[in-house]
Amino acid sequence: MKEVTLEIAEKMLEAAERWAALSGYPSSIAVVDKAGAVIAVHRMDGAGPMTTDISINKAFSAVYSRAPTLMLARAIDSRMLGPIIGSGGLGLLTQAKLRLMFIPGGNPIRDEDANVIGGIGCSGVPEGVGDISDTTVVQAGYAAIYEEYD
Amino acid sequence: MVMNLDMAKKMIKAAIERAEEMNRLCSVAIVDDRGFLVAIHRMDRAPIPTVDIARDKAWTAATFRMPSSDIIKFGDASSPGFGFNTQNWNDRLTTISGGLPIKYGDDVIGGIGVSGGMPDEDVAVCEAALATVLA
Repeated sequence: MKEVTLEIAEKMLEAAERWAALSGYPSSIAVVDKAGAVIAVHRMDGAGPMTTDISINKAFSAVYSRAPTLMLARAIDSRMLGPIIGSGGLGLLTQAKLRLMFIPGGNPIRDEDANVIGGIGCSGVPEGVGDISDTTVVQAGYAAIYEEYD
Repeated sequence: MVMNLDMAKKMIKAAIERAEEMNRLCSVAIVDDRGFLVAIHRMDRAPIPTVDIARDKAWTAATFRMPSSDIIKFGDASSPGFGFNTQNWNDRLTTISGGLPIKYGDDVIGGIGVSGGMPDEDVAVCEAALATVLA
């Protein structure tokens, strides 16, 4: 797989939505292409209005940084910052016209050669890095790719 | 009757089928009655900006409760709300056609926006989507 198509995106969204519904938190989920441009976004019934833009920006941030947004969250953790104000991750804060998200829940989508070909983001699950979080929702969506390709 | 994801998905599917018939690559956005996004799909290889333009059209149609092309009537100095169409108070307002309100009876329950073709083609795609759900 070299490209995320609308068909694949819909499959990923469906799987992610199933997981979010199971967890009991209606969420928004977004899939973007390798340019960080939206392919598909769904806001589940009951999810808050702000979750759509957050999920889009998480997916974008995952593509832009080629890493899960969890790592961006780590970058601005106070323990990671250097002794000089503005050193370390703080410089990232205003990048990409303020579209970078520093909240876990966005993961890059990679092809067989580990190149980033897209991103998926979720917003709507309250804070958590354990069994139920935005990150596990996007992982459930990611896993849907392999239902067809293995 | 309120907008929900199932209805939005159905409308988008119908819209994309119609766009494929017309050989156009486009984006389709559905918003709820307050203009908040419910779903967007961008067809493969459709230009990137169509996503946001479709969403702008849907927002305009839903919140003004009129087709997005009707916003141009605020350009008439004798109409109430004169100047709305150029006032830069909001980055979503658009006067481009291709956005229609979704009505259920007399209530506006949302808006649909399509971007990617000629203005009348976008409207035709919108109407195909509306026909599916409200039939």
